Amino acid sequence: MTSKPRVAIFDFACCEGCQLQLVNLEEELLDLIAVVQPVQWREAMTEHSEDYDIAIIEGSITRAQDEERLKEIRARAKVLIALGACAAMGGVNRLKNNFTMDDVRARVYGKDSAMPHLDTQPTKAVGEVVKVDFAVHGCPITKSEFTSIARCLALGKTPLIPNHPVCVECKMAGNVCRFEYSEICLGPVTRAGCGAKCPSGGFWCYGCRGFVDDPNVNAARDIMAHYGKTVADLRSRMLLYNSQQELANGPDTQY
Amino acid sequence: MKSVSAKALLDWVDDLIRKRRVMGAQARDDRFTWGPLARAADLRLDYDVTLLPPKVFLQPPREKLLEFSRAGGYTSCVEAEPFVLLGVHPYDLAAIRQMDEVFSQDHADARYLKRREAATIVAVDVQAVSANTFAGHMGASHVETGYDILLTRIGDGYVAELATKKGEAIAGALASAADADAAAQEARREVWAQNAQRLKKHELKAAPADWPGLLRKGYEHSVWEEKAKLCFSCGSCTLTCPTCYCFDAREDVGWSLARGTRVRIWDSCMLADFAKVAGGHNFRKNKADRYRHRYYRKGQYIPEKIGGQIACVGCGRCITACVARIANPVEVFNRLAEAR
Repeated sequence: MTSKPRVAIFDFACCEGCQLQLVNLEEELLDLIAVVQPVQWREAMTEHSEDYDIAIIEGSITRAQDEERLKEIRARAKVLIALGACAAMGGVNRLKNNFTMDDVRARVYGKDSAMPHLDTQPTKAVGEVVKVDFAVHGCPITKSEFTSIARCLALGKTPLIPNHPVCVECKMAGNVCRFEYSEICLGPVTRAGCGAKCPSGGFWCYGCRGFVDDPNVNAARDIMAHYGKTVADLRSRMLLYNSQQELANGPDTQY
Repeated sequence: MKSVSAKALLDWVDDLIRKRRVMGAQARDDRFTWGPLARAADLRLDYDVTLLPPKVFLQPPREKLLEFSRAGGYTSCVEAEPFVLLGVHPYDLAAIRQMDEVFSQDHADARYLKRREAATIVAVDVQAVSANTFAGHMGASHVETGYDILLTRIGDGYVAELATKKGEAIAGALASAADADAAAQEARREVWAQNAQRLKKHELKAAPADWPGLLRKGYEHSVWEEKAKLCFSCGSCTLTCPTCYCFDAREDVGWSLARGTRVRIWDSCMLADFAKVAGGHNFRKNKADRYRHRYYRKGQYIPEKIGGQIACVGCGRCITACVARIANPVEVFNRLAEAR
């Protein structure tokens, strides 16, 4: 590598918690900037350059002007990375797609909801607007996964993003399956890579990393009755992060 | 063979902990697990089954294989500190003996074998029967070899068989305990006979010896598609299996971008990308193919490697671990044994 890749970090509709995870790298930050050169990062630096190799996009896309801005970024960047659940799949923001935009505006802005600058459109993941080269999943992202991806890219190596369910990491951690306590856990359909943090802490998996490539959602539906749950229970749990798959939204037979 | 009171056994364990690294079966919430034993009082020799088998100490879920420099050169890493595995159930010991054979073959696995050599195994006969065990059908409800010490609960105490030099080396006060009398020895045989019957929570209608034959004619059986429909490809059945040992190797380069480590981590033939190779081709793309493969490993492929031993010891962990309830080998082999 002759020179360090120049990296710009952008935020769209989100809580900026994933960027915060980057700031939280703390003792690893100096290592990170020894490998890449940040040239634009609103949350962490004053300097500003539009000349970059890698664009890291945080947040989901909810406005026409954001789509334009994102397309400009894509045109400048050689590599584009979606950072976190909002960018990778729409995230919690996508819950709003279960309602009409008028309802959403009225609920949030009340009597001002008709004002033009408050216009909003259904939430899109970054990948629905521009080509995404790599996604760092999670809400928030897992720091060690991000740094591993960063080092891979610095080496010109394709990062390994798991395509197996959270159950793999959960079993390796020696956890009791949440289903044994008749809880609906989204681990069996959710992409691993988080180290099964939630089940290891005694909670079900919320599905924040999105589905694996080929999730067996039909099976998830079929097993509900055995655990004393309904398909509606499953749907309500899937809505939080998986509204983007439009599966939780449709009729039961779509599961 | 020695007879000891429960109290004397616990005293021995506390003494052992002071002298050795001891991994013991202990409670985790309302289940049981393996871990470093801090004191004898934490040891639960009355456990029914542990969440993961003791393979976690012989083939850890994640293990550093070597450190390398991108400029060239590497250093192998082997973690094989001596330790005592305290409280291994017979079915898990049967599985360890199979893995000893598997890892000794072909390119013998130095790391496994060194750790195996470093392990002193204290087995214990089953006291509490787990919900899904069928070890009694698999000939693994008791073992008569393979352990260094075997403990069996008899009444208020235990009989302890010091079976090997390794066992004698950690025997401490057990060595000078009273010899077990004929009645105690007879009582142990009775425990074995009872456990062979008690550890049958699922009714296997196809004798294990018949499994290879059933598989030879069952490749196109409808059971594979039917069960696999519900499969999440999550690997829980194989990850919790004491006779499953597949692993993947990965590299991670440090921040210097000059040096890195290669690790191996557990893998599973049930995962969607398990058989995916360079170029993107996947040799077992379909769930049903992967689902079927697991049973062929248990009943045909591994047995062909280790003198016909069926690579299932009936611990029942896969049955418990499978959220979709399709991983029960008893159900599958019973189906294969029926007319289709």
